[in-house]
Formats: sequence, structure tokens, C-alpha cells
Amino acid sequence: MNYWPWWAGAIGLALVTINYTLTTDKPFGVSSAWDRVLHWRAERRIERLETEFTDERALVDALAAATAEHFGPLPEAPAPRTAYADAPAPAGAPPAETSASNTSRRSTPVVAQAALLLSILVGGWVAAVTAGRFKVRFDMGDGFRQIVTADRATMFGVLFLGGVLVGFGTRLAGGCSSGHGLSGCGRLQPVSIVATAVFFGTAVLVSFLLWKVI
Amino acid sequence: MHTRGGILMANVIAGLALGFVVANIGFGDYAQLNRMFTFQDLRMFYAFAGAVAIIVVVFAVVGVRRTRGRIHAGVVPGAVLFGTGWAISGGCPAIPIIQVASGYLPALVTIAGVAVGIWLCRWANAKFFRLDRGSCGL
Repeated sequence: MNYWPWWAGAIGLALVTINYTLTTDKPFGVSSAWDRVLHWRAERRIERLETEFTDERALVDALAAATAEHFGPLPEAPAPRTAYADAPAPAGAPPAETSASNTSRRSTPVVAQAALLLSILVGGWVAAVTAGRFKVRFDMGDGFRQIVTADRATMFGVLFLGGVLVGFGTRLAGGCSSGHGLSGCGRLQPVSIVATAVFFGTAVLVSFLLWKVI
Repeated sequence: MHTRGGILMANVIAGLALGFVVANIGFGDYAQLNRMFTFQDLRMFYAFAGAVAIIVVVFAVVGVRRTRGRIHAGVVPGAVLFGTGWAISGGCPAIPIIQVASGYLPALVTIAGVAVGIWLCRWANAKFFRLDRGSCGL
């Protein structure tokens, strides 16, 4: 089927993940994009609140700067008290974030998430067409027919059930093969390493069951 | 790249590249996927593992920080459900989109299932689990 050799695939997947992370300072994950696009109303509300919060912070900073410019710098402010303790902030604690860094920490807009999903469709279509693999079919190919089912109604049932498990499972685990598997494991995050080991291991077991037993 | 336009552009580029690369590796082909999971052909597994190895090295050199994420009660059961769904339908969240793009129209049913599953998880988490599941940080 003229697929790429493993090393080309490895370089390609790595480049996508690294480029995204370095240009946006955010991890790369598709299940989060799905989640946020499907709940776009709630996400838009959160985006508006984030914008208001950032604008307020920017206004306060600007007023403080203008006041300092007019009356001279303020005396050293006491260390902030936390909600849980009377102790001042420890020495060497990181400085408060500026509004600029807040901006970079804000979540990706829902529109951009929708664009990611649509772009995957276009990228996949370009790959299929340029490799001569594009063909409209009403089944999932010979492999699916031989290993899972040849019956059309059962095929739709299996695909829907599989989709539900994928959707529910990725969101329960907090990530998928791109979020946990590439971005998270790339950062050597324990949660991502555990999740990736478990979903790969489970997929291996279920695939062997389908191939050898069922 | 931290402006709204910059992030939109980064997402478009990432989506186009991911769709192109994943389709060309063969992750959208159920037969190829099953051959990887049953160790008959490890080409796709090497592609995935090789990508992770490259990312680990580059992130370490560049100094990419870890994101918020801890092992919570949903990680293992969620990963088990995901692995089961991936093995029987051939789809992780990006792959059914690529399958449709390659002409496998029944994958639209997988996409509908993914959407239902995601919606169910958010509803069930708010009502029953109440887990702070984090996210991919998007």
C-alpha cells in the first residue's frame, strides 16, 4: 500500500509535535480539541471571561505604572498573604506573572481547535490523493471485514461502540495518542507514560483476542 | 505566535501536517493497525516510538517544561476504554477523520461515536466522578 518507512513517519510525527509546541508554547492534543469544539458554547463563555480577566489585569498594571510615573515609585509592598497561611511568600518565590505571560497561558481559542480538526481532514485527503489511495468505500476495508465483521449492521455497531469508547476513554484519561502519547511522553510526564502504556497494552490484548479468538 | 491569529495559523499547519503524516504512515488502515497491535508488522510502532524518542531529545535540549498533569483515578480506566475502542474501530480521535478523508465513509459513524463518548464523559464527570482530569493543555 506504499506507506512511508518507519523512520520517515517518526521524523514526520516528531516535527509536527515539536513545531507546534515551540511555536505556541502549548502541548499538542486532538482529543482536547474535540472536547472543546463539541462544548463550544461553554468554551466561548470561558474565553470571554479569560479576556475580561486579562483586560482587568492589564488595566490595573497600566494604572499602577502611571501612578508610579506621576508620584514616584511606591514603597516596597508587603509580601502577599495566602488564603491558607499567614506566612509571607517564601524567599526566592517566582515573581508574579505579567499580563503578557498570562496571554500565552490562555487556552487555545475554540475556532483554532475547529480549524485543527478540519485541517486534519484536508491533510489526510491530500495524502490519500497524492499516494493514489483515495477511494470512496462503504466498508472499512478487507482487514476489518476479515478480522472484525463482514456484516454491515454489525460493522456500524462496532464502529459506533468503538468511537464511544475512544471518546469517553480519552477524556477520562485526560489525553489520547497525540496528547499523552507524543506530547506527554515527549515531556517524560509520568501520567502520560502510564496512560500510553495502558492504552497500547489494552489495544494489543484486544487485537490478539479479535485475531486469534473471536 | 501567542496571538489568536498566530495560534489559529499554528493549528492549521499542525492539522494539515498531522493528517498528511498519519495517513502516509498507515494509521488510517485498519489492517495495518491490527498488524501493529498483533506484532505481525512493527513498522508503525517503530514510527510512533521513534517520534517519541526524537521529541524527548529535542524537548530536553530546548528545555520544554512539563505541563500540569498527575496520575488520577481516571487515567488507567480511561486508557483501557480508549485502547479497547482503538483496537475494535481502528480510530483514535484523529484517525476516523483521516479514514473519512481517505474515502472510508463508515468512519463517520466512528466520529459520531467519539462525539457521543466525549459528551458522555463530560456529563458523567460533572455528575459522578468529579475528577480533575487535566487535559492535553490546549
